[in-house]
This record gives sequence, C-alpha cells and structure tokens, in this order.
Amino acid sequence: MKELTISSDAPGERLFVLGNEAIARGAIEAGVQVAAAYPGTPSSEILETLAGVAKELDMYVEWSTNEKVAFEVALAASICGVRAMACMKHVGVNVAHDPLMTASYIGAKGGLVLLSADDPWAWSSQNEQDTRYIALQGYIPILEPSSVQEAKDMMADAFELSEEFKHLFMVRSVTRIGHARSDIVLGEISRERRKGSFEKDPSWLVYTPAVARRNKPLMIERFEEIKKRVNILSYNQLKLADGAKLGIIACGLSYSYTIEAVKWLGIEDKVSILKIGTPHPLPEELVVKLLNSVGEILVVEELDPFVELHVKALAGEANIPVKIHGKDLVPVIGELSTRKVTEAIARLTDSKPPADFAELDKLEQETAPLLPWRPPALCPGCSHRASLYAIKTASKRVARDYGKDVEPIYPGDIGCYCLGVNPPLEAVDTTICMGGSFGIANGLAHVVEAPIIAHLGDSTFFHAGIPPLIDAVYNKANITMVILDNSATAMTGFQPHPGTGYTATGDETIQLKIEDIARACGVKFVEVIDPFDLKKATATIEKAIRFDGPAVIVSRRLCAMIEQREKRKRKEKVIPYYIDQDKCNIKCDACIELLGCPAIIKQDGKTIIDSLLCTGCGICAQICPYKAIIEEKE
Amino acid sequence: MIKEFNILITGVGGQGVILMSELLGKSAVKEELKVRGSEILGMAVRGGSVTSIIRIGDDVYGPLIPMGKCDTLIGMEPSEALRNITYLSKSSLVILNTAAIVPFTVSLGQSKYPSLEEILEKLGNASGRIIKLDAVQTAQQAGSSLTTNIVMLGALFGTELLPISIETIKESIQARFPAKIAPVNIKAFELGYQACRRALK
Repeated sequence: MKELTISSDAPGERLFVLGNEAIARGAIEAGVQVAAAYPGTPSSEILETLAGVAKELDMYVEWSTNEKVAFEVALAASICGVRAMACMKHVGVNVAHDPLMTASYIGAKGGLVLLSADDPWAWSSQNEQDTRYIALQGYIPILEPSSVQEAKDMMADAFELSEEFKHLFMVRSVTRIGHARSDIVLGEISRERRKGSFEKDPSWLVYTPAVARRNKPLMIERFEEIKKRVNILSYNQLKLADGAKLGIIACGLSYSYTIEAVKWLGIEDKVSILKIGTPHPLPEELVVKLLNSVGEILVVEELDPFVELHVKALAGEANIPVKIHGKDLVPVIGELSTRKVTEAIARLTDSKPPADFAELDKLEQETAPLLPWRPPALCPGCSHRASLYAIKTASKRVARDYGKDVEPIYPGDIGCYCLGVNPPLEAVDTTICMGGSFGIANGLAHVVEAPIIAHLGDSTFFHAGIPPLIDAVYNKANITMVILDNSATAMTGFQPHPGTGYTATGDETIQLKIEDIARACGVKFVEVIDPFDLKKATATIEKAIRFDGPAVIVSRRLCAMIEQREKRKRKEKVIPYYIDQDKCNIKCDACIELLGCPAIIKQDGKTIIDSLLCTGCGICAQICPYKAIIEEKE
Repeated sequence: MIKEFNILITGVGGQGVILMSELLGKSAVKEELKVRGSEILGMAVRGGSVTSIIRIGDDVYGPLIPMGKCDTLIGMEPSEALRNITYLSKSSLVILNTAAIVPFTVSLGQSKYPSLEEILEKLGNASGRIIKLDAVQTAQQAGSSLTTNIVMLGALFGTELLPISIETIKESIQARFPAKIAPVNIKAFELGYQACRRALK
C-alpha cells in the first residue's frame, strides 16, 4: 500500500498532519492555482507544503518579497478568474493592509482567500495583535476554525464562498491551530485548472475617487448577503439546553476548550452553547435566539473582546435584559486553555472545578525558583554572534570620540539576531517591526549624538529594508546599516529569498546582491565582510561608522544550521575546538562572558568546549587573551 | 474505546521531541484512534525549552492538556520535566531521562541547575510513579546517541499503557528512517522498552 501524503486524492482516508498542512490541504482540495506568502511563524509551513507539491498539482507557488506583494499577486490572479490565496502571520497582514482595504471594494472573481495566522501569547512575535479588527475595517468576512479538521474544511469552503459572493474571505488561524497536530479526513481534490484572463474594466479596477464611491455600496451589498448566509452556515451552531441559565458563545479554537470545560465540570446538559465559526459577520439571528433563551452569557474568545462587543451591541439594540460576560472572566492576554475556560464557567454556574487549581498554582510558584533559565540562544557557530560582537567592539571604539559617557545605539530587527539582546552580547536596543531597525536609525540620527549602528537580516532587508535605506541616503542620515546576510530566512525555517538564487519551488533564478542594491541606492560606503575574520570585520565596521554619511556593511556568512546540514551531506567532518587547560586562566572567562556560546561551558571548575555542540567557527579562539583555545587535529 | 490519554513530551530544542510526537500520532491514526496535539516551534527552539503534546481518545478536542490531566510525562531532560510539573497528578506516570542538559545561563552565572535528587523528589511528590533511565547511555548502546528520543519512545511503550501496538509503532519507525539507520532506531526502541519493563518489575 502506498503511504498517504498531503497530495493524495483519497477522499475519506485519514491522515495525521500539522495544522498548517491541513490548511494547505484545504486549498489543494479547492483547486487553488496561485499561492503567495512571506514566511512568518506560525504560518510558514502552509506555503512550504504547497511549494512541495506545486509542480505535481500544476499550481504556481511563490515566496514573495513581503506580504503586500504576496497579497497583490493573489489579488491579480483572482481578478483574472483564477483561485488564489495569500498567507501570512498576523503582523504580516499590517504590511498587506494597504491593498487589502481596496481589495474588498474589488471583491473576487476567482476565489480569493487571505490566511492570517495570529499568535496569542506572542510565542514567536513582537505583539499579540488580534487581526479580526483589520477584517472588520475592510468588510472582509472571517472564518475561524475550532480544530485542525475544520481549518482544512474552512479553507476549502472559503474559495467556494468567495466565488459565490464575489468577495474576498479571510481564514484566521492561531498558533494552536497551525502548530497543532491532528488526524483529518481528506476530501476530494479539484483538478479544475483555469486559464487566467484579464478584462479591462476601469469602473471595477481603477480606484479613482469616483470609482471608490461607486463601488463601496456594492461592497456593502455583498457583505449584507454574506451576513444573511452565516446564520445557516454549518460552522455556526446553536445547541440550546432545556432550562439553561447560562449561554456560552465560543469563537474559533475557544470552542474546543469550552467543550472540554463543560465536560470536565459535568454540566454538558445544563448550558446552551453557540459555536461561532464566523466572528465577522456574526450570525446575528443565532446570537439573538441564544440571548432570548438564557439569563446570562459568557463570550469565550482568544485575545480581544471582538465578538463580545458585537454581542453586547446586539443585546442593547434588541433590548434583551441579559448579563453578558467576556473579558471580565476570560483573560484578554495570552492563549486560552481548558483550565481558564473552566474557571470562568465554574464561576457563573456555581460548579466546582475538578482540579485544585490554587494548589497547582502554588506548586508552580514553589518550583519556579528551582528552574534554570533556558532562553532561546543564537546557535553555536552562528555568524550573527560574530557580527554583533564585531559591531559592538567597533562602535565602542568610535563612541569614545563622541564623549566620555556616550553609548552607541543598536537598532535591531525581526529575525534570529534579536536574540542578541540577551547578555552577554546585549547588542540590540530596539526591535519593533520588519525593517524597523533602519527606519528607527534614521529618526535617531536627527535627534541624538552617538554612533548609530542598525542591523537586520538578508530576508528582512529585501522585505522592508530598502525604503529606509533610501531614506538615509536622501535625507543624509549619518548611520551605519549592517545587513547580517546568512543566506536564509533562518528563524522561520530557512526559506529561500531574492538573495539566495532559487525560488520556492526550487527553480534557479537571478541572485540579487545586497551590496549592488545599496550602491545603486546611492550609498557611498559599501563593504562586504566575513564576520568570522573578526579583526578585519571590526576594522571595516569602524571605518563605516566613522564615514561621514550613510554607510552599509554586508556581513556575509552562511547560517550555521544550513552549513552543518550541508557538511553532513558532503560527509565533511566538523572539527571542533578545545581549551588547553594548561594555558587557560580559569579566572578570565572572556570566552563565556563576551560571546555566550552554548558550546562553551563550565564543568568541574574548568571551562571546556562541548565537542558535540562546537561547529568549529573559531570565534572564541580569536578573542581568547591566553591563546588557549585550539582547533582539534583531525 | 479509549476516552482520553494525555502524553506530554518535554525537552530541549534538538532532542527530537517533535519527531516523537509525529511517530506517536501517525501510529495512533493507523490504529484508527482520534489524535490531537500541539507544539511550540520557531523562536522557542533555538536551544530553548520544547514541549509537545499528544492526546489520544474519543473525548479529546483541544490541542492542550489541561493542568493536572497528564497521564504520562516523558522528560527528555530532568529540569524540563520539572518545568511542567503542574500537568501532573497522583495518577500520572513520569518517564525521566536522567541525563541533564545544563543551559549556558548556568555557565554565565545567571541561574542555577537543581540537583537530580531535588528534581526527583519534587516530581515524585507530584506524580504517581517515576521511571528513571539514562537514555543517552542506552542510545549509545544501541549504536548512536542520536536515538535517545527513540529509547524514550520505547520506554513509553514499555509501560504497556498505550492503546497502540508495538508492531504499529515499529512500522512507523521503519518507515520514518532511511534503511541504513532504521535498525539502530529499532534497537534503541527495544532497549528503551526493556529498560522500562525491568524498572516496573
């Protein structure tokens, strides 16, 4: 028997998948022909999955330069009658916000679906933004799955709905959907492949003020139709319990916690539950039915009170005297859990939680001081460690010339290198958004007197680093911009980008050189360095900082994880370093205190290098004042 | 049919935690069981703590194990098992790899690593039973320390609590690895299984 895969056309069969694979499968079943994305946790595996089967299934799949471009690629395909999708993490939707707000005026011809992967508790993000508000603003209907299976089904249905209503749809995932695992039942794969055709229609596609005014009412009309439909959509389900005093409205994934909570409390038959799969537009008829049948309501949803506010407005409008709870009992911060939902329901039903949560909290507090701090760290052999060390050393030298107490400022960005904020490197002063390092550096240059050295990664540079680089040239900002080029979008799983020379589907393409772009933008100081040659790298960065005007350094060295992988493939041995204990001054600790490499550890009163972790980068050997760190012989 | 069986795997990035839940999940699906789970990837894995959850049974819906409802905790690293102590109850079983991975913050003097005795005492008070093994050493016996996760998977099956047959999980292991290294992994599984059986006697 052939093993089932994500592209198997085997309706009814069960497959164990990651949530993001399920989302990709839904799109495959719908016959998506164009998919575009920029990587971002927790969404990246969706496009990776599609890219892996693109050729086999005759789809066009691309990693776009950023989310705005990704969405525009999908929108264009939809305009031409082809089914298309764009996927991105929640903050990526901000980047795509501009076209998104006009796309809803356009609507859709080929099914058009935007997937937003929100990240409650900001596991891997700079904030916990609730993207449903962006959909609200743009009259974009949202489908929000309660499980991995539903994520697949909704994704497939979103294309159908989009074509039926000629409108763009959003599917909102969260970390515990995209990075959940589950068995799913496969559906049929649509083999329909359409040829795109562009029909010129300025009254539909050229957004002059007159066209905007003409098309807004049409958009609202479409939205009103969708508003009616959601009341009978199977993703919204009302279960009334006889004589129930409490009604629970549970949105998306919160529904699964709610089901477990009422079971745990043993009150399944005593509460009415409205499962919400479309928080926008809300199935108002179902909500009103529930409001009229109970005395109290609890709205359970992750992050902001999005559904809650709408339900309160409905109750007010219909004059229904029902007490509505939500964020007063369910946390507004972080992920929900069965425990959090259980506690909220227990308070409103006078039932007793089956576990002694207070005792467990006490246990957690008692245990916390015993636990070692295990933060994520730059990998052993990571080129960013060397780059950030060189940046710091060079900047401190220059800062002395500015005055006794002047500290250099290091605006940082989104990527692995933000881990450089931790001791001992402490080389990141701001992390805000993609490309934000260069933008913030521009602003700083006009208000403070200190060396300003901003850094971002290669993929981030292509994504959002070029406009602020041009800004620095145009407005004469005296800053140093360092691009940490490790030839990968490393944090999200090594996806290719315009600097790597190959595409999402593995085809060779033009490899853009960051130094060429910087020179073409008018930067007069552009140098490429190898961060593993610390002395030379530091001297070049120092020259860049001293240069009068914007300067660019490209610090180029392949991501250590990719390099290790490639070495294994080539059967090349990794030659680690070791510490000669006769030469090592045990009181010195420079290697540990300056670099914070996970491979250098203290054991039995000695400083040693873990030969299993060491990648042989040799940075520690370059900074050891006693020359005690030596490369092992093969 | 099984109603609810919750497995929590805790460890450090790079220990193969995710692979264990993939193998468990795939095998459970082969046995026609309902499976739910989740994990934390991305930012958290660069040498940081990793947890992965596998839940099996007709009554499971959500991707997370409620506090105090873990049936078996697989601790790939002692302090990481301790970090997840609130998932345990007196009916939980802990399978603990006693080989510590000391984080670099300890070398930097920013934190302390607790003694194994202290960890065992805390986990012992919170759970029903602990099975200890040096899985790294067992993995080396099997032929490679890289199979530590498979040793622990073997130990999990050694409890004979799982609704998945040994044949099915072995098939999944065979299918997952290239032919050249599959036998080492099967051996690691068997050694882990036997170690657990011995510990339970």
